[in-house]
Amino acid sequence: MTETRLYRFLSRFVDIRPQEAHVSLLLFLYFFLITFPAYIIKPVKESLLQASFPPQLFPLAPLMTAVLIGFVVSWNAKLLNRMPRRLYISSTLTFFIASLILFRFLFTFGWKGLSLVYWLWSDVFIATSVTQFWICVNDIYDPHQFKRLIGFFVSGGLLGGLSGALLSTTLAELIRTENLLLICPALLIATLTVVNLIYRERQTEKASVPHSREGGQTKIGYLESFRVVKQSRYLLLLAGTLASAMVVSSVIQQQFLTITQRVFPIKDERTAFNGAFQAGLLVFSYLLNFFIAGRVLKKSGIRTALLIAPVFLLLGSAAVFIVPATILLGWAVAVKGGDKSFENTLSQSVRELLYIPVPTEIKYKAKIFIDMFVNKFANGLGALLILFVLNVLHAGFQHLSFLTISFALVWITLIRLIYVEYVTVVKTGLKRKWQDGEKVIDEHVDIDMTRLVFDTIQSREKSSVLYAMNLFDLVRKEKLTPELKEIISLKSDEIRARSLDGLFDVGGETFFPGTEDTLAEDDVKIQVGEIMALDSYKKVMEGHLEKTVSDGRKESEVARMEAAKVIGLMEPTPTVIRDLRRLLQDASPEVLTYALESAGRLKKKEFVPLIIRCLGNPMIRLVAGDALAAYGAKIISTLRETLQKAGEDVEVRRAVPEVLSRIGSQKAADALAAELGRRNERIEAEVIEALYKLKSREPAIQVKEEKVHQAALSQIKKGYLAVLEQNTPAPGADAAVLAGRINNRLVLLVQKIFELLALVYPSEDIVKAYQNLCVGTKKAIDYSLELLDNILDKDLKLYLFPLLEDLPVDERIRRCRRLFKGLEKLVP
Amino acid sequence: MRKQGKMVIKTREHGAVVIFDIEGEIRRSDMMDATLHQLVKNQLDSGKRNILLNFEKVNFIDSFGVGEILASYISTQNLGGKFKLAKISKKLYLIFQVTMLTKVLEIHENEDSALKSFFKS
Repeated sequence: MTETRLYRFLSRFVDIRPQEAHVSLLLFLYFFLITFPAYIIKPVKESLLQASFPPQLFPLAPLMTAVLIGFVVSWNAKLLNRMPRRLYISSTLTFFIASLILFRFLFTFGWKGLSLVYWLWSDVFIATSVTQFWICVNDIYDPHQFKRLIGFFVSGGLLGGLSGALLSTTLAELIRTENLLLICPALLIATLTVVNLIYRERQTEKASVPHSREGGQTKIGYLESFRVVKQSRYLLLLAGTLASAMVVSSVIQQQFLTITQRVFPIKDERTAFNGAFQAGLLVFSYLLNFFIAGRVLKKSGIRTALLIAPVFLLLGSAAVFIVPATILLGWAVAVKGGDKSFENTLSQSVRELLYIPVPTEIKYKAKIFIDMFVNKFANGLGALLILFVLNVLHAGFQHLSFLTISFALVWITLIRLIYVEYVTVVKTGLKRKWQDGEKVIDEHVDIDMTRLVFDTIQSREKSSVLYAMNLFDLVRKEKLTPELKEIISLKSDEIRARSLDGLFDVGGETFFPGTEDTLAEDDVKIQVGEIMALDSYKKVMEGHLEKTVSDGRKESEVARMEAAKVIGLMEPTPTVIRDLRRLLQDASPEVLTYALESAGRLKKKEFVPLIIRCLGNPMIRLVAGDALAAYGAKIISTLRETLQKAGEDVEVRRAVPEVLSRIGSQKAADALAAELGRRNERIEAEVIEALYKLKSREPAIQVKEEKVHQAALSQIKKGYLAVLEQNTPAPGADAAVLAGRINNRLVLLVQKIFELLALVYPSEDIVKAYQNLCVGTKKAIDYSLELLDNILDKDLKLYLFPLLEDLPVDERIRRCRRLFKGLEKLVP
Repeated sequence: MRKQGKMVIKTREHGAVVIFDIEGEIRRSDMMDATLHQLVKNQLDSGKRNILLNFEKVNFIDSFGVGEILASYISTQNLGGKFKLAKISKKLYLIFQVTMLTKVLEIHENEDSALKSFFKS
């Protein structure tokens, strides 16, 4: 089957990408081929133990495993670190094939103790082969990818297990329990073949070469694995969760074995029952996996998926006290069936998912320690507790349920803690790709100062009066470095008084004493201030201004610029206000610039409508915005009205959000949020950007979540319409050009969506996710999607992801079409 | 090409980089049509992410020009793009330096080194 056909076939059942099809199928087969023999080996293991020992000694088997498993873990960790992955897995499989044949031979001698050794061996086989499978999966997939495909792999495992269980059931009484083992070597040889195909396909050997091969530097072994787990809160919680689950499982196992031994005293009948039970369990698990597990994981998330098992087992175990003796077998089947089917589907899958974001250098050490040692240690602990309850306290098997209830409660508590840690670990995998442009500028540049420097240099050519006044402004800022003075031709540490002559040589009168003298900067500030306050100066200036302002000729532009500038330094008398109003309607953008600066200084109500009008002119928009921002919170209402005025110039309305953002405050945010709710397409983008900037500067600002969700869904809907446009292109349209245009539109829509999300979700997480989705590696993109999957609201996730995920074009169109109706109901 | 009073802006592409060749003075009084920022935004909207301003023939900029350059920088940066300048005069470079604009804007002596820098990791 070619790759495309394979992908098309598999995509009917699983959310898969074309490049994943071949390897995913091989992994499906891998899991199938290791669970097949596992479900032959398991019923044999249980049956042989039940044939050799009375129920009160059953716990000796898991206890022995718990004691000896440490050596196995150490040996396994060494092999994992020293060998290429392919060789590691192949050699252990070869070992298991050989030992299976050996066991079959040894069983002919009928040694009772051999059943204990076999129990240990089968625990090691099952734990090792399953751990190796998940290591292989970890080598290949990232968390969000894993989440999509886990159901597919698990179904391979379940089908394998079902096949093994059915075979056991059918053949146990025909060929005898011990002979069932001879089927397994053939299956493991097939497994060897598949493993080699996987690693050849993925060429992961290079990635899996351990450091110890290169320099012998890395510590390996049991103690190192233990140290790694001990140092990580996350891994400790993972270990604790597994340990609690295993104790519960071992108690339930004990209760099950006790009851089945009573009901089925004959060994081969018991093996057949165990096989039938396993088969039924796997059918149930398969149906659970197919119909429910994926949905629970997708819709309710990781935490719910993990909580289902302990809650069920807590309640189920407690029920033993009220269930009649005649249906105890049914109770045992239900509880053990529940335990194993959740373990086979949700619990195991999610636990494997929890490993994926752990850094590679510690993941595999930790995994072997936790999956093998902690797993079996916990079984051993459970065995000890069982031995204590049964042999020391002499309690009945029903009283073992108290152990289940206690450990289930611990399990539930740890799940709640680990979920929080999981999200933190995923976030740690994401780094910011760039800083916001405004922040970079704010950190390094004084914008007002910079613009003033450029205007000062420009004005030197135009007018000495303007130059002087700009110098005066610079001096007032008290940030004149020697280099800056050099640039603006400030020859010494003192300002030349001569340059101020023009400012104060008005109407034939000279107000500046000692014009030949130079003055220190501080003196200039004081003296200029004093002169401006003189009544005589004011009177002369007013007359001069009136004449200048009313002269609308091009030739008097510089004079009007000077007038506009100086007005900002004067007291706002009615005459001054009248003159500035005129200047605020001047035709020259240079005059308007100075007039707006002065209006921003004087902050009179009368100027506001004129300043707002200036927002429509791109040449002076920035200065007009500065002037309005200088008014502060008192003009928010006026700006809000301007935003909402349908008849207002759209360029003016587009500029208002930025001004509100600069003014800041909750009131400004409320004004912007109100406009967001109106969904005015012409100014929507500016409103969103302004809210985002405001929230970045003032994180304490609150924006109503409902409004933001609606706005985000509205943007998502636009994205869907863009995607669906590809499906119905205009006649003659170039498909590649159309796809390019739509992609560009989606990029900008996604930016807006994430700006909205940053208003209500943790801003830094949203920003990192966005940036990594834009320019991150494949792994970073996956982590971003996984982070969003864990923090976003259900509806937002559902509708947003088809726009974010890397999907083939026709698949994206298909999903958007399928979800569009639901989206339309939310955003009419 | 956009003609705006004394200022002329020509656009060309070099691989994935859009180069704006600016001639004249970037000042508000000479703005008539779309501003420099608007032209940059148009390129960003059409999917371009690498923007280079060629200042070889720029004599002068005023505060409006500075605002346009910084606004263009912000728009490019916030989309994960790269925004650089090349061949600005010694005088302008000095002003950029004392006002700390060089801490924000990457400025190259010539176009070749600017173009190469876009693709360094």
